[in-house]
This record gives sequence, structure tokens and C-alpha cells, in this order.
Amino acid sequence: MVDNTASNGDTDGSVVLEATDLEKTYQSRLPFVGRSVEVLTGADITLTEGEIVGIVGGNGSGKSTLMKILVGALQADAGRVTRDGAIGWCPQETLLYDRLTVAETFALFGEAYDLPDDRVVERRDDLADRLDFEQFLDYRVDHLSGGNRQKVNLAIALLHEPDLLLLDEPYTGFDWETYLAFWDLTDTLVENGTTIAIISHLISERERFDRILELEDGTLTEQSGTPQQTRDSAHDAQPTTDTDEAAAQEG
Amino acid sequence: MSRLTTVTRLRVTELARQPLTLVMLLALPPIVIEMYGVAVKSFPQLPTLGADPATVGRMTGTLFAVAFLAGLVGLFQVISARRGDERAAIAGFPRWELLATRLLTMVIIAVAGATVALAALSYNVDVATATLAFGFLVLAALVYGLIGVIVGTVVPQELEGSIVLVFMADIDNALSSGLFPIDASTTIPLVGDVAVTDFVPLYHPRELFVTAVLDGGVASGHLLPALGWVFGLLTIAFVAYGHTAGNGWFTSNGGSA
Repeated sequence: MVDNTASNGDTDGSVVLEATDLEKTYQSRLPFVGRSVEVLTGADITLTEGEIVGIVGGNGSGKSTLMKILVGALQADAGRVTRDGAIGWCPQETLLYDRLTVAETFALFGEAYDLPDDRVVERRDDLADRLDFEQFLDYRVDHLSGGNRQKVNLAIALLHEPDLLLLDEPYTGFDWETYLAFWDLTDTLVENGTTIAIISHLISERERFDRILELEDGTLTEQSGTPQQTRDSAHDAQPTTDTDEAAAQEG
Repeated sequence: MSRLTTVTRLRVTELARQPLTLVMLLALPPIVIEMYGVAVKSFPQLPTLGADPATVGRMTGTLFAVAFLAGLVGLFQVISARRGDERAAIAGFPRWELLATRLLTMVIIAVAGATVALAALSYNVDVATATLAFGFLVLAALVYGLIGVIVGTVVPQELEGSIVLVFMADIDNALSSGLFPIDASTTIPLVGDVAVTDFVPLYHPRELFVTAVLDGGVASGHLLPALGWVFGLLTIAFVAYGHTAGNGWFTSNGGSA
């Protein structure tokens, strides 16, 4: 069984999440049919205050499983997860209530986060302005386009100003302007000490990350050639629009 | 406004925004009640029926309409919002609060369904004590609403869950209708002889409802068993729903997601 604990500050002050020896196997529910799939075989990850970390891996490598275990939505078979502070989770699929309006969705999750009503409205309006969905606040979630649903999906994770953001393919379906607004927002958050982990099947702009971890064969390894070096070398270079737009579309 | 009230209001809003739900709630009970009445009208006047066959048919249709609608609402309350609830739980809602808001919503729908069904029944049948009849209809709705929640938790797929509920409600309604006198019993090891009707969830609410409609009184021998069904099913619903929760009943991740 996984040891799933919320720390009271006993860990190193700068560590906001630490997971060690995570194992997860999906077993077939029917006897004699199907097969077991070993997804995580001893994955370790440590996230420290104010860093932005990319987690990459191929299709079916277990990225979303890892994310669900880190956030507490899924139990690992073995290992230990220690969290310190509030977490914001943006799942890959938009886990929202389809028939509520965007404003009602914020009100509901504001109750979950135990935020005062006026604070919910203030944060909602700020996020709607930054991610450009303020004109859709009275729309039902199931009447939104895919990109706007994803904006709301992300904004809900940011509503309570968490210490750690775990984002699973957060910019899927974003248009170019929103993609840039997303990175502006993450820059502001990191400046304020928020730790951000972004899962993507493909990261083309390595210079935006402090570290990039690759999930392969059930374990995480840090990719060689630090993104910081890439960032320094790319300091004056302008990424081509084609490449960046591809990144936005690929999510 | 308390958190439970706010979230329950949003749950009801969600349901009310599904036009088909409202149409079902308003249109199905009168149709089902009259169809039962017409279908059973030519049934032989058996001494055990207690009223003319058409009236028995209409009362049976009333119970079926209210109970089955509540069962469906309970089922889909759990299944359709399962994933949204998962995120809400991660965000900080204790699981028991999420289930409580689902149950409160189901009760509100049950009251609405019972109101429509009783009004439809009253059009052709003189109801001796409407308040008692209404209360026992809501009791029947609670029983099936909880069964819907349990089925939705254990069989969390819309098609499969609906199939289970349809078969249960159909058998239950037939056995508890009074159209087929059932006095059989079976022997269970270590328990002894048990009446078959004790396994039929609608049996006791039906006896209470029929007595309230025809005589205006309370069939007191059925009140405790009916309440026993409600509390038993409530316990099972909480245990089943809690079993599916990865983070336990009363705690969350401390405000994550």
C-alpha cells in the first residue's frame, strides 16, 4: 500500500512534493481474460519550491497515472507520497459538471476550497481575464468549445492559489494567444514561489522548464542537457511560429 | 448559506437543466398510472385485492412511477457525476458531503414526483388521507432512490446499471402489487422461516400507501419494516460509496486539485 501523507512541514522547507518507489500495475478484472499492465515500477520524483518541471513520455507510458497518484486521485500499489501545502490539479480530461455554467462551476469549487464568496468572484474574474474566457461565464460547460472548456479546467486548478500545480496536458486545444497567456501566467506563479509540474507527451520549448523528467519503463529519469543551459543558449533566439503553434496544438 | 445547501441547489439546477428529466417527471406518472388502471381493469375481482381492479392497478402504477423515477435519478446522480465528484473530492469536499448532496437532491426529486403522481391518482381515485398517502409515496421513492444510488455505485455504467434497476423494479412491483397474493416463505439456515415479501423492497411501503389511500389510516405493522429498509439501504449506500472513495470518508487531501 502507498503511504499517502500530507506533511506538516517536517520535510525540507523547499520540498513541496516527494514521491519515492511508486509502483502501479493495472490488473485485468476478469479471470483468464486480458492481461496485467505494469505502469510504474519504482518512480521517484521530488519537486521543490518555485521550480517548473516537465514530465514527458510516450503514449501509454503512465504519465497520467503518475499524476493521479501524486495528486491523490489514485492509489499506488507501493511507494510513498509526501505533499506540503495546497495542490492544484488540472486533469487531462475536463472533469467538470457539464450542465453547470462556468460561474456556477467556480462557485462549487470555491466551496470545495473553502474560499469566501467574494474571493471566489475576485479570483474567477482575474483568471477569466488572463485566460480570456470572461465572456463565457454564464455559458454552460457543455456549451463551450474544447479550448474554452480546457481554460476553465485549468482555471479551476488555479482558483485557490495553490503552492503546487500539477498540470496534465494543460494547453491542449489552446489557441496561440491563450498558449502565450498560459506561459505568462506560469511565469507569474513561479515568481511567487509556486511549483509547477507539467505533463506532456511532447515538450518542444525546453527552455521554459528548469528540469525535464522522462517517464520510461515505469521510472523517471532526468534528461541530459539541462533546460537552463538550453534557455541560456536560446536567450536571443526567437522560436519559429510554426514550432510554437505546433506545441500549442499538440498539448 | 451552508455548503450543503449551496451544492444541493447546484445539483438540482443541474437536473432541472435536463429537459428530458423534467418531461419524464411531469408526463410519465399520469401515463403510467392510467395505463396500469386500464390494463388491470378487466382483472378478476379477487377478495384479496381490497378494491376494484382498476383502483388497485392505478395505485400500483403510482408506486411504480414514483419509485422507479426516484431509482433512476439516484442511479444517474451517482454515475453521470462520478468523475466531477472525484475532482471535487480531491479539491476538498469530504465524500460524505458529496453523497449527502446527492441524496438531498434525490429527495427533492422524489417529493416532486410524488406530488405529480398523487395528483394524477386523485383524478380517478378518492384518496382517503392525502397527506399520509403522499408521505408513504415519498418513503417508497426513498427506498428506490437509495437502491438507485447503490446500483450506480456498484455498477457504475449507465446501460448496465439501468438494466439492473429495470429488472429489480419490475419484479418488485409485480410481487408487491397485491395482484398476485404471495404468502410463501423460505427457510434460511441460522435465520429460519422468512416470508418472500421480506425480500421485496416495495412491499411494506405499498401496504402503507394502499391503506392510506383506501382507509385513511396507517398500517402500523408495516411502518417499522419500511423504515428498516430505508435505514438499511442508507447504510449500504454509505458503505458502498465510501468503498469507492480513495481518500476515505471524512478527509480530503487538505484542499488540493
